[in-house]
Amino acid sequence: MMNGGGGGGQKKRAPRIEPFRHRVETDPKFFDKSWRKLHDAIREIYNHNASGLSFEELYRTAYNMVLNKFAPQLYEKLTENMKEHLEDMRTCIDAAQGGLFLEELQRKWNDHNKALTMIRDILMYMDRTYIPTNKKTPVFDHGLELWRDTIVRSPTIQGRLSDTLLELIHSERTGEVINRGLMRTTTKMLMDLGLSVYQDDFERPFLEVSASFYSGESQQFIECCACGEYLKQAERRLSEESERVSQYLDVKTHEKITAVVVNEMLANHMQRLILMENSGLVNMLVEDRYEDLTRMYTLFNHVPDGLTTIRSVMASHIKDTGKSLVTDPERLKDPVDFVQRLLNMKDKYDNIINVSFSNDKSFLNALNSSFEHFINLNNRSPEFISLFVDDKLRKGVKEANEEDLETVLDKVMMLFRYLQEKDLFEKYYKQHLAKRLLSGRAASDDSERSMLVKLKTECGYQFTSKLEGMFTDLKTSEDTTQGFYASTSSELLADAPTISVQILTTGSWPTQTCNTCNLPPEIVSVSEKFRAYYLGTHNGRRLTWQTNMGHADIKATFGNGSKHELNVSTYQMCVLMLFNSSDVLTYREIEQSTAIPAADLKRCLQSLALVKGKQVLRKEPMSRDIADDDSFFVNDKFTSKLFKVKIGTVAAQKETDPEKLETRQRVEEDRKPQIEAAIVRIMKSRRVLDHNSIMMEVTKQLQPRFMPNPVVIKKRIESLIEREFLERDKTDRKMYRYLA
Amino acid sequence: MAITGASEKAALQALKASDWHLEGAFDVFYSQPQIAVANTLHLEEVYNRYKEPDADMIMVEGISQLCNDLQVDPQDIVMLVISWHMKASTMCEFTRQEFIGGLQSIGVDSIEKLREKLPSLRAELKDDQKFREIYNFAFAWAREKGQKSLALETAIGMWRLLFAERNWPLIDYWCQFLQVRHNKAISRDTWAQLLEFVKTIDPQLTNYDEEDAWPYLIDEFVDYLKENGLVQHRR
Repeated sequence: MMNGGGGGGQKKRAPRIEPFRHRVETDPKFFDKSWRKLHDAIREIYNHNASGLSFEELYRTAYNMVLNKFAPQLYEKLTENMKEHLEDMRTCIDAAQGGLFLEELQRKWNDHNKALTMIRDILMYMDRTYIPTNKKTPVFDHGLELWRDTIVRSPTIQGRLSDTLLELIHSERTGEVINRGLMRTTTKMLMDLGLSVYQDDFERPFLEVSASFYSGESQQFIECCACGEYLKQAERRLSEESERVSQYLDVKTHEKITAVVVNEMLANHMQRLILMENSGLVNMLVEDRYEDLTRMYTLFNHVPDGLTTIRSVMASHIKDTGKSLVTDPERLKDPVDFVQRLLNMKDKYDNIINVSFSNDKSFLNALNSSFEHFINLNNRSPEFISLFVDDKLRKGVKEANEEDLETVLDKVMMLFRYLQEKDLFEKYYKQHLAKRLLSGRAASDDSERSMLVKLKTECGYQFTSKLEGMFTDLKTSEDTTQGFYASTSSELLADAPTISVQILTTGSWPTQTCNTCNLPPEIVSVSEKFRAYYLGTHNGRRLTWQTNMGHADIKATFGNGSKHELNVSTYQMCVLMLFNSSDVLTYREIEQSTAIPAADLKRCLQSLALVKGKQVLRKEPMSRDIADDDSFFVNDKFTSKLFKVKIGTVAAQKETDPEKLETRQRVEEDRKPQIEAAIVRIMKSRRVLDHNSIMMEVTKQLQPRFMPNPVVIKKRIESLIEREFLERDKTDRKMYRYLA
Repeated sequence: MAITGASEKAALQALKASDWHLEGAFDVFYSQPQIAVANTLHLEEVYNRYKEPDADMIMVEGISQLCNDLQVDPQDIVMLVISWHMKASTMCEFTRQEFIGGLQSIGVDSIEKLREKLPSLRAELKDDQKFREIYNFAFAWAREKGQKSLALETAIGMWRLLFAERNWPLIDYWCQFLQVRHNKAISRDTWAQLLEFVKTIDPQLTNYDEEDAWPYLIDEFVDYLKENGLVQHRR
């Protein structure tokens, strides 16, 4: 039926459309009839009887209604009708008992969805025309809203639904098995109804209930569990909740429930857990419980400040353990053992951080600063570390293969980095190196050089240049000695003992005051020839024999016929050679002949006469102390399994207290010019600088070598003012000015 | 000229400056004392009275005589002030130039006039700026010839003298501390900085900051005071 509006065509003889000549009347019952059709159809649909319906007819009916401008009424009627059906459904759902409640709900929900789909299709035309124009909710969504309001949010159902779901979850948490499929469809239904429905009607109460559940559980567990056990439980619960979400909750809930568990089980008890006696972090560290530590790290990663807390507890523990190690007087008796323990401790924590703390950089930094803190609590650490290296280099590849030695030395370098007084270490290293080199007991040139390279890489060229000079000296000395023998005629040297000379450049080697000593004439003769040779080629230099540093190999024939080669110090050689011309000598006589200072001479005699198995001389009386009139004889009963016998040890010992004091004083003295040089350098470039800045700059510049004492810096500044390198500013007494 | 003892030249200057009014001329004259008196002959005479017979200097005896004539103790601090005016290089000695120049700058040409001036010279110590100059002058002046630092005993003597004027309550502790702990000569910087210390830091040391740029000797002094409970203040 078309209502024509005739627009008259301009063309002639065009067909004209004319209105009907009779009155067209619309059927007053049109709406009711049409609606009745739809109403009944909907009823059938809800009764699972849709198969008998003609989609086309229903669609057309709806279409016509809309065309005839009955859309608003249609919409209204639809709403009413759906509500009725839903109310019926509600009754059924209410009637369902216990476990069947959810099932019934689900069933009805499915029905409603199916119905809605069909209804929407039927009313498609209205959906496309009336609804957008009038900003009404589309049919399907409208149907969902009605479901929400009539069913889900009905007073009888709303609470019941929420409670049922939460009860089921609770049962599952306490170990029972529940129908997860049903849970899934129910939560999905809520999601379909809109995120806010899901959140308000389910998620929020869920999170609240979970919080109190976990709060209770955590209280219970923490009273009776050790930390490790507790963490296992927490971990278990976390993965359980994760699974729950993936199985039947919306994915957005995951983050929130995790936060709840973390908060209740971990954050709220963090301090108590980490610091738990006998099972907390400290205990885990001590016992290397990697698994527990890894778990703790992973879990507390979720907690704000969790890792910070772990890190600081670890750091204090390391500092405490370290401190007791370095201040324990027992430990200080054996320097090599002392350092070994430090290395072991470092290894231990390196491993823990690597395995359990995923090599977290901030933890490594904490480890480093803790070590730095306690290593410097003992001011003998530099000396001990040098002794450790000395020990390892002496034993060299005899004890450990080259690779192992390298690894150990690298680890020692780590400890070296922690030292604040690196210049003190340098002094000791020099002393020990000198002894090693001169006694010929450095095991491997390669290892020595490798160590030097490590130090150079760490501290720069200046640190090692003198040490390298020592090596060069020895090499050059070898060449010089060879040159001496090559150029000096053999007649001159016929009966003379063979000498090997090491020429030490003063300044590269540790300074030693050399004392008097009368060398045996044979030695004097050849050594003077050497001196003449050397000065011949090196004009202007001065050679001084260091009799306290040399050693000699003597062939000895004893009264009982045994022949041995004795390896002794120079002093010992001087003493022994005296016995070539006398059978017996008193201490006084020996002292007079050799002119060796008393303390050294006594030590030397003791090592010749009183050491079991090495008694080359006999002493009367046998007492330990040496009096002026005590007599010494060659021990004709001397025996040894070895042909070559080594007398007396030249290995580096840890210093006696007076020696320690002296070394420290020397180091302090050496620091003064370094501080001054730094001050001058800084002032030269800055010209004018205030007091605090200068203190900071100087400390910064010198830190790689040592920590300068502020009082000393001040004194140096004043000294420089006195010597007119600097002056105070006339108006501001806190500013210093460089005087060119 | 009769009244002021001024030279003709100075009198004319003063009169000109005041437009030939006599009263005004007096004002002008007395407001520029340094430039006024210049009777060099008088001064030479005075100098010769005290100078050594065989050297062109006034030495210990002459100074002793001078003090006598001025009726002051040779230890009187006013002698320091006079020496300062003279820009004397060493204590117990005045060169001709120093002596004459000094008296000129003070504005006197006779011992009597100098004696009259003594109170006003003493008053100069009350002036902050002048006191500082005199104080710093004292260091070089009291030094032994050829030394860079000031001997401790001398320094203590000078300090007692100077700080009596200023009333520094810690002076006794300071001298005690030096004798017990330091026992060495005093550097110029320490000398100069002590004055700053006295001026800025209160006797209870409430505003003393050890991070400040005080010489280490002063830092040690503060430690000394604290150790011996001589100051109440605890930071």
